[in-house]
Amino acid sequence: MHKRKTQVEDIDRTVYDIRDRVDPSYQVGQGLTAKIVNEISAAKNDPEWMRLFRLKSLQVYNRLQLPGWGPPLDGLNMDEIVTYIRPNTGMKAKWNEVPDDIKNTFERLGIPEAERKSLAGVGAQYDSEVVYHNVREEVSRQGVVYTDMESAIRDPEYGPMVRKHFMKLVPPEDHKFAALHGAVWSGGSFVYVPPGVNVEIPLQSYFRLNAPGAGQFEHTLILVSEGASLHFIEGCSAPKYNVANLHAGCVELFVGKNARLRYSTIENWSKNMYNLNTKRAVVEEGGTIEWVSGSFGSHVSYLYPMSILKGEGSRMEFTGITFAGKGQSLDTGAKVVHAAPHTYSSINTKSISKDGGRCTYRSAVNILPNAYGCKSSVSCESLMLDDRSRSDTIPVMDIRNDDVDVGHEAKIGRISDDAIFYLMSRGISEEDAKAMIVTGFAEPIAKELPVEYAVEMNNLIKLEMEGSIG
Amino acid sequence: MNLTLAKVNSLPVPTWFRLGINDTQLSETIPEVHPYEGEYLSAERPENVEISFDPFPAPDLSTGMGDGARNFTEDNRTCGVTVRVPDGVKAGKPVFLTFHLDETNPSVLDVNTVIAGEGSEVTVVMSYESRSDFFGFHGGLTRLYAEKNAVIRLIQVQMLGDGCLHYDDVGAQCGENGEVSVIQAELGGKNAAAGLKAVLKGRKSRLNLDTIYFGDRGRSIDINYVAQHVGSASRSEIHASGALLDESRKTFRGTIDFLKGAKRAVGHESEYSLLFSPKVVNRSAPLILCAEEDVEGQHAASAGKIDSNRLFYLMSRGLSELEARKLLIEAQFRPVTDRIPDPALRSAVSDYVKVRLEAIEPVSE
Repeated sequence: MHKRKTQVEDIDRTVYDIRDRVDPSYQVGQGLTAKIVNEISAAKNDPEWMRLFRLKSLQVYNRLQLPGWGPPLDGLNMDEIVTYIRPNTGMKAKWNEVPDDIKNTFERLGIPEAERKSLAGVGAQYDSEVVYHNVREEVSRQGVVYTDMESAIRDPEYGPMVRKHFMKLVPPEDHKFAALHGAVWSGGSFVYVPPGVNVEIPLQSYFRLNAPGAGQFEHTLILVSEGASLHFIEGCSAPKYNVANLHAGCVELFVGKNARLRYSTIENWSKNMYNLNTKRAVVEEGGTIEWVSGSFGSHVSYLYPMSILKGEGSRMEFTGITFAGKGQSLDTGAKVVHAAPHTYSSINTKSISKDGGRCTYRSAVNILPNAYGCKSSVSCESLMLDDRSRSDTIPVMDIRNDDVDVGHEAKIGRISDDAIFYLMSRGISEEDAKAMIVTGFAEPIAKELPVEYAVEMNNLIKLEMEGSIG
Repeated sequence: MNLTLAKVNSLPVPTWFRLGINDTQLSETIPEVHPYEGEYLSAERPENVEISFDPFPAPDLSTGMGDGARNFTEDNRTCGVTVRVPDGVKAGKPVFLTFHLDETNPSVLDVNTVIAGEGSEVTVVMSYESRSDFFGFHGGLTRLYAEKNAVIRLIQVQMLGDGCLHYDDVGAQCGENGEVSVIQAELGGKNAAAGLKAVLKGRKSRLNLDTIYFGDRGRSIDINYVAQHVGSASRSEIHASGALLDESRKTFRGTIDFLKGAKRAVGHESEYSLLFSPKVVNRSAPLILCAEEDVEGQHAASAGKIDSNRLFYLMSRGLSELEARKLLIEAQFRPVTDRIPDPALRSAVSDYVKVRLEAIEPVSE
């Protein structure tokens, strides 16, 4: 009997793909030169230390090679990328002051509504600049600082704090796109949570890239002090163009002693995007970093949030899902360094590939010599929905002492016949059984995503069962 | 002479360079190479099996350690055999090859080929031995061709002295319903490397690979196994376990590679490392590469201390902690060593491990 293939719908991108008229107030030329870097620095009125930092980063960029592993980057030509585009507005603290066309874009994406319903503060970046920033008064009264990076750098109180931490966790020498970020970064968020403060409802930044052939290089710096806690959410999208766009953001998270930070992201860029983002956290004694990551969009992604468990008893949990469809190569995973005793890490990922999409799970677990009494658990599962797609797992474990407990499990394949048989033996039809299994595959990850992303997530993993898989 | 082999034991797809796991380099000064003097092929041989000392003009068959190591071994061959098993012949006895490294044969480069005709079966046992204080070099290249419904069993036991550089490089190819079963015991040497690549070409072809390793003192062990599934319903089982003590280092790379068209193929891989010293370095990269939906691929790896409950159980029976640990190490190797068909070699392996365990006592305590 001819098997009808299961239909797993592509993401409905209608809302993301609406393009605004490109009407910047200022932009630099294509490519990457010292002149352009100086132009960006001048346009942003950088302090001198930042201008010099940018130029040094440019030197590093020119020195470093492209990565010799991972998906090809042939379609990315830096000579054609515009690294700074200032929208035709300044930063506003009220939605009604944001120009209509930009405001409408964020309205369509549901950002103002989410802010009203469930967020303590929102920052919205459009191309290279933050156009809206607001934080609830009661959160401000707790001493929480949530602002754009440019304001933070120039702030007399927080400027020194930014300078102390900026690209210290992800130095420009780390890799070519970290260096690129250091040279041309703009926009992004600065968050400071004072000691002992629990921010009960999440903060959210949303990044929208509108211009074709542009890059977005926002920088996120979050400092969660001792005993404090925060949930921070990032979302991002862009309309699809037939030229390459580039996202090379950088996220640096500092989690203090006994502090907790949950960092949730849905990376849902358009399918012409090269998403080469770098995210890193350092966690002090007794602190916890939780990553929740959904990777759906982009043409190519390199995305591996890294956690450095620096303090004794610190913890990391990573939960991620990746969905690659036609024309996509999503290389995702996580890295963790156990640099202190009695640290704990858990990585749990799932991926689905279809229509020729390619998912790669890549990870590294490093346990350093002094990090005794550590535990690490890694689990990754991949589901392939057709034989035009590809799914690879490339994990590495590097253990340098004997007082550890490290476990790793991975599975790739199709839906288990045994599981279908089990469900059918309970009276469920074969088709329903298969539908349950595919839906259930993603569910453990989906339930970890923030509520305000539920609709988006549902669209992304909408599985319409209409026959059998395989 | 100087030996430098770069890009050895390469992962089929690279990952972050800074992890230093994509490949390794063998660089050593080795004793001069000249033809092996003496017997290494046992006088007791199976009937109806053709064994010659002529090298087999090998068609292109890639091996686990890569082109550099393979070419070097072939170019500097000092000894080795070609074993041909005619169609339908099931060899009753194993072919035994024993290579001694000593002052007469300080560098041994053996190139061996096993061709098992349709429906045939053969077992080949290779052992590499030297005095414990001997400085020498061994490089081995073994090619296995299991034709339709044929079975080749290869057992390689390396018990070289602490000064030796050693590598075992294997390439295998299986026809329809053909099977290659390999046991590797990497127990000695100063620096030891092993690589195996099996191409499961035929429908229902199979690879069974069991390896044990034992690292102590400053020993370094580097392993790379690749099971490439081409044929439908092909099956690979790769299982490694070992113990690391003192300042030893081990790198394990294991790849299950499902090519498009390998429908209903199954690949399982596991690695279990027992760690006994705060100075060990234990690295693992278990990969699954998959271009075919209708497959089942699984890998699992774990590393850590001996389970405290098991230790407690043995100590409650009157064993000291050290005795209990030794017993558990031996027990870990036992399922693999028990499958060595020659009682004398099996016993030699057991004694070799015991001696090593005794020797580490003053170091670990």
